[in-house]
Amino acid sequence: MSELFEPKIVAFVCTYCTYAGADLAGTSRLKYAPNVRIVRLPCTGRISPMFILKALQKGADGVLVSGCHPGDCHFTHGNYHARRRWMVFRALLDFTGISPERVKFSWISAAEGSKFADLINSVTEDIRNLGPFDQYQQLIKETESPATL
Amino acid sequence: MITQERYRTTVKELLANGSIKMAIGYKPGSTPDRRRPLFIRTSEEAEQLVLDSTCVQNLSGYLVSEGLLSDEKRVGIFLRPEGVRSINILAAEYQLNADQIVIFGFDSTGREVRPLDGRSAREFSGLLNELKEKPLQIYKEPLLERIEKMNAKERFDFWQEEFSRCIKCYACRQACPMCYCRRCIVDSNQPQWVNTSSHTLGNFEWNIVRAFHLSGRCVQCGNCDRACPVNIPLRLINQRMANEVLDGFDHFAGLSATQEPVLASFKKDDTETFIL
Repeated sequence: MSELFEPKIVAFVCTYCTYAGADLAGTSRLKYAPNVRIVRLPCTGRISPMFILKALQKGADGVLVSGCHPGDCHFTHGNYHARRRWMVFRALLDFTGISPERVKFSWISAAEGSKFADLINSVTEDIRNLGPFDQYQQLIKETESPATL
Repeated sequence: MITQERYRTTVKELLANGSIKMAIGYKPGSTPDRRRPLFIRTSEEAEQLVLDSTCVQNLSGYLVSEGLLSDEKRVGIFLRPEGVRSINILAAEYQLNADQIVIFGFDSTGREVRPLDGRSAREFSGLLNELKEKPLQIYKEPLLERIEKMNAKERFDFWQEEFSRCIKCYACRQACPMCYCRRCIVDSNQPQWVNTSSHTLGNFEWNIVRAFHLSGRCVQCGNCDRACPVNIPLRLINQRMANEVLDGFDHFAGLSATQEPVLASFKKDDTETFIL
């Protein structure tokens, strides 16, 4: 039996909603897949598509981006700007052949600890089914300076 | 030829009466079908002006050269319709004042060059709105449609093949009128966002990030495509992104000098089908 593939997932989350949601999941003692590395940012509007690319280039198999629900942004409309950016960025990834399935977006509020745990589980399962991001990992090897996550 | 002569006279007149301090046009290049930019300050220099169907370069990038417009004098420039769109975008992004630009519009069908009416970007709005209504003709490209029909793996292989040739000369950036940043993201090294060596991974990073920065701003002038020394079909990515913002946000870049940049604005009811 081959070992189960454990994907590496990077989550970029906003500090006011999703990070607080993750915190709630933790304090509520909810168990979720340990495959995700969380990076906390002030707002989803702060999440540059560069971050997502960089994560993939450093060997992540999937990326999760999450923030406040529309209308709930601490900075009033950071997440509206982010939403447009993501839509365009997703299309760009799709067009260049990087499966948009590997980059997930969601809205999770500070009260949705269980949604956070469920999401991490389902995203991990999805990425596990997709398998390792071989195409990029091959390219990383060619650079001769493979930096691993 | 008639158009060329007429414009030559117009440029001389405007220079003589001081309404413009300079005109940017075309002069013969190293081969018969090539043109290079001409900066006309005197009526003798105006004699070198050439205007024919091979004048394809979008010259609007020269307008944002440092100091050119800071004396608030007016500058004339030869532009095709997509060049006028560039002027509008640059004005909307506060890079220049559209009132300072005197436009010598032209367009060509086959080898025939015809002048376009209007001297200021505002006067072209009718023409640009027509362009928006029939974008399919501009955006339909056989290769683009072929790529869209591929599956993700085929697409990745296609771009990997194309990007593997990239030598990171940044000619696309230098040629692009929209790439005016004083400090480009590839030049920033703390943190180093884009790998500077030209391995395929770094080339993916560079070309994706450039396409993203041009989303909703590119006018398909084709400068990058022609500048690329290894013939990467850069116009395809930029066209795809232009289609995306047109379908998704009804945004056609460069319609007016007051148009909000698509990625710097939002609507509360933007689609979000992909969000979990």
